[in-house]
Amino acid sequence: METMGIIFSNIYDSMMGKLTNIRTSASIPVGGRYRQIDFILSNMANSGVRHIGIITKYNYQSLMDHLGSCQEWDLQLNTNGVVFLPPYATGHTGIYRGKLEALQTAMPVLEGGEQEYVILADSNVMCALDFRKVVEQHVKSGCDVTVVAKGGLCDGKTVQHFALRTDESGRTVDMAVEYAAPVGDLVGMGMFVISRKLLIAAIKETVPHGKYHLERDLIMEGYNKGALTVNVYPFEGAALFNQSVKAYYDNNMAMLDSETRKSLFRGEVPIYTKVRDEVPTRYGKGAEVANCIVADGCRLSGKLSSSVIFREVKVEEGAEVADSIVMQGCTIEKGASIRYAILDKNVTVSAGTKLLGSPEEPLVIGKGAAV
Amino acid sequence: MYFLKKRCVAMLLAGGQGSRLKVLTENTAKPAVPFGGKYRIIDFPLSNCVNSHIDTVGVLTQYQPLELNEYIGNGQPWDLNSSHGGVTVLPPYARSKKSDWYKGTANAIYQNIPFIARYQPDDVLILSGDHIYEMDYARMLRFHKQMDADCTIAVRPVPMEEASRFGIMNTKEDGSIFEFEEKPKKPKSNKASMGIYIFKWDILRRFLEEDEEDPKSDNDFGKNIIPNLLNAGHKLYAYEFNGYWKDVGTINSLWEANMDLLGDEPEFNIYGTGGKKIYARNYAMPSAFIAKGSEICDSFVAEGCEVYGAVKHSVISSGCIIGKGAEVKDSVIMPGVVIEPGATVDHAIIAEGCVIKAGAKVGADQQAESLEALKISVIGKDVTVPEGAVIEPGEII
Repeated sequence: METMGIIFSNIYDSMMGKLTNIRTSASIPVGGRYRQIDFILSNMANSGVRHIGIITKYNYQSLMDHLGSCQEWDLQLNTNGVVFLPPYATGHTGIYRGKLEALQTAMPVLEGGEQEYVILADSNVMCALDFRKVVEQHVKSGCDVTVVAKGGLCDGKTVQHFALRTDESGRTVDMAVEYAAPVGDLVGMGMFVISRKLLIAAIKETVPHGKYHLERDLIMEGYNKGALTVNVYPFEGAALFNQSVKAYYDNNMAMLDSETRKSLFRGEVPIYTKVRDEVPTRYGKGAEVANCIVADGCRLSGKLSSSVIFREVKVEEGAEVADSIVMQGCTIEKGASIRYAILDKNVTVSAGTKLLGSPEEPLVIGKGAAV
Repeated sequence: MYFLKKRCVAMLLAGGQGSRLKVLTENTAKPAVPFGGKYRIIDFPLSNCVNSHIDTVGVLTQYQPLELNEYIGNGQPWDLNSSHGGVTVLPPYARSKKSDWYKGTANAIYQNIPFIARYQPDDVLILSGDHIYEMDYARMLRFHKQMDADCTIAVRPVPMEEASRFGIMNTKEDGSIFEFEEKPKKPKSNKASMGIYIFKWDILRRFLEEDEEDPKSDNDFGKNIIPNLLNAGHKLYAYEFNGYWKDVGTINSLWEANMDLLGDEPEFNIYGTGGKKIYARNYAMPSAFIAKGSEICDSFVAEGCEVYGAVKHSVISSGCIIGKGAEVKDSVIMPGVVIEPGATVDHAIIAEGCVIKAGAKVGADQQAESLEALKISVIGKDVTVPEGAVIEPGEII
C-alpha cells in the first residue's frame, strides 16, 4: 500500500497514573496478553503498511523490548519496517508538547518516504480496523485529511478530546477540541490519513509559529479558515479508548463481553502481539473460574470471577480474585482476596491480605510491590 | 561458501509415518502431531537441542512433510534461524546417478553426508522426532568426550520384566557396551536404548559408507550400524538417563503422555527445569475466555479457547470452544476443535479442527488394568461428528 504510518507512543502518558510510571502508554498491558500498541501496529501491518515510525519521548525501554524486531507483525524487513523516533534522534527537535510538534522528530522519515499518504495514529485506542478501507475512502473523498471516528459515544456530558459533526451525507460540518459534544457527534479515534507532502508542508508552516496541537492547530484551525478539507471515516466496530485509569479498567472489563471480543479479535484484521513461550494455563483441582479472560502460563487454584488475568499469574488455593485486572507474573497467595483492583506486573498479594477498590476508583498496585 | 566448523551437528529423524497413530498421522508426519495444548512432538527434541547449545540441526523428512516443513519454517521459534547453522529441512532428493527415498535410518543420514561434512563436526547427534522428554544433550556430549567413546548411546532403565520389548544394551561396570540385543527373550540388563546416539563423525561416516555398500543391510542404526561398530571393536558407551521419556508411537501412549502433564505432581514437568523452556511456534490467538457456569478442574487450557462447559482432567489446545453443558473428561483436545453444547467426550483424542455436534457422545468412562487395555476413541482431523451420534470407546474414525 502506498501509505506509511506514524504512531505516537507517549501522548497520553500523564493520564494513566501509576501505569505509566515505568512505561509508555503504548506499552500498557491490556486484555490478558496484549499491549496497547499491538492494536494500532497490527491494524497498520495487516493493512499492508510496511514503513512505520514510532515517536517516543521517554520510558520507551519496555516498548522497545516488547516490539523487538517486529517479527510478530511481519515487519522485520530489509527495506523500511519499523523505526523508533526518540527525541533528539535527528537534531530536529527535543522534548515536544503535542503531536504536531512531535512530528518534527519524524521529518527525516516523512521526507525520505516515497509513499503518497501517511497514517498518523495514537496508540491508546483498541480496535481492529482495516486501513485499506480508510485510505480508499480518503482518496475517493478528495479531502485533505480523513479522521477516523466513532459514533454513539457522545452524551453531552463527557468531554471529548476531539469531536466531529457530520451531516446526513457524511460531510463534515463542525468540529471541536476538548468539548462535551452532544449526542450524535462522533469522537475522533486519534487516527488520521493525510497526504505526505501536505503534512510536511503543514509542519513546516505551523510549528515555527508555536503551534503544536495536531487536532486543534492543524486540523481544526485549517478547517475553520477554509484552508483544509476534512473527511470523516466512521468506524463501525468496537473501539475502546484508554484515556484514563478508570477507562482502562472499564475497557478491560468490556472485553468479557463476547461481542466486544469478537469485534476486537476476530474483526477486520487479526491482532498480533509479542510471542512468549508459555505453557497453557493449568487449572488446579480447586479452581473456580467464572467470566474471566485468562492468558497462558497461569496456575489457578483459587476462585476467580469477572477478571482479566495476564500471563504467569498464580492464584493459590482459597485465594479470591474478583472484578480485577491482574498483570503478568502476579501471585495471589492462599486466603488473600482482591476486588476492584489493578495489579501491575509481578505484584505479590501475601496470604490473608485483602485489597478492595471500587468500580469508580479501582485500586492500582504498582509494579513489583508486595502487599 | 565458507562454513565454520561446528562442534556437534544434530540430525533429527522425522520421516517416519507413525502408522500406529492411525488417523492422527494419515495426512501429517508423526513429529507434527500436536501435544500438550500448544506443542507438537518435534518441539521437544528441537527445544532440547537449543537448550543444550546445539545450533545446527538437520531435520530429515520424508512422509507427509508439508505440515512439518511449514511448522519448522525458518526455525525462528527455537532460535534456529541463524545464517550459519540453524535448522535445515532435509528431504530425500533426486541425484544425477541414483535417487532414493530414505531406505532406513542409517541411509537417511548417509544421503546427507554432504550436509554434515560441510560443518566438519567432531561429533554427530542422532535424534528421533517421536519422543516426549526433556534432556540436556550437552551432558551426554561431555560424557562421550570424557570416555573418548566412538559412539555413546542414551539408555534408560526399564522394569526387568518388560526389558524383552526393547533394544537392550549389556554393559560392563564402566558403562562400556559389550553387547546389543534387540528384544532379547532373556534380557541380561534393563538398559533400553532411547534411540539417541552420539557418534564421532569420522567413524560414523566410514560405517555409513560401508553399510551402504552392503546390499543385505537394512540400513538401520539399531540393526546394522551399532552391531557393526561393536563387531569391529569400537568403544561404545551407554549414557544413563533417568528423567521422563515417552515414546508416543501409539494412540494409548500419546494419550497417556498428555495425561502425564496433569495432577499436582505431574509425571512430566512441561514447565521445564532450570529456566529451560519448551519452545513452540505461536499463533495469533487472544487469551482464553472462561465463562460463568463453566467448570475446569485439573486441566490445561491454552489461549484462544472459549470454555462454557465442563473440563476435567484433560488437555485443551489453542482455539477450542467447549459449549455449554458439554463435558470433556480424561481427554486430549487438539487445536481448533468445537465441542457443541451437551456433547460429552471421555477417554478420547480429538484431532485438529473437529466439530463434535450437540449431544454427541464420544468414548466413555472406564477403568482398565493396564494402559494397553484402555479403549481410547480417536476422531481424525477435520471430522464432524453428527448431532447425537455415539462414538464407541476405542472407535477410531
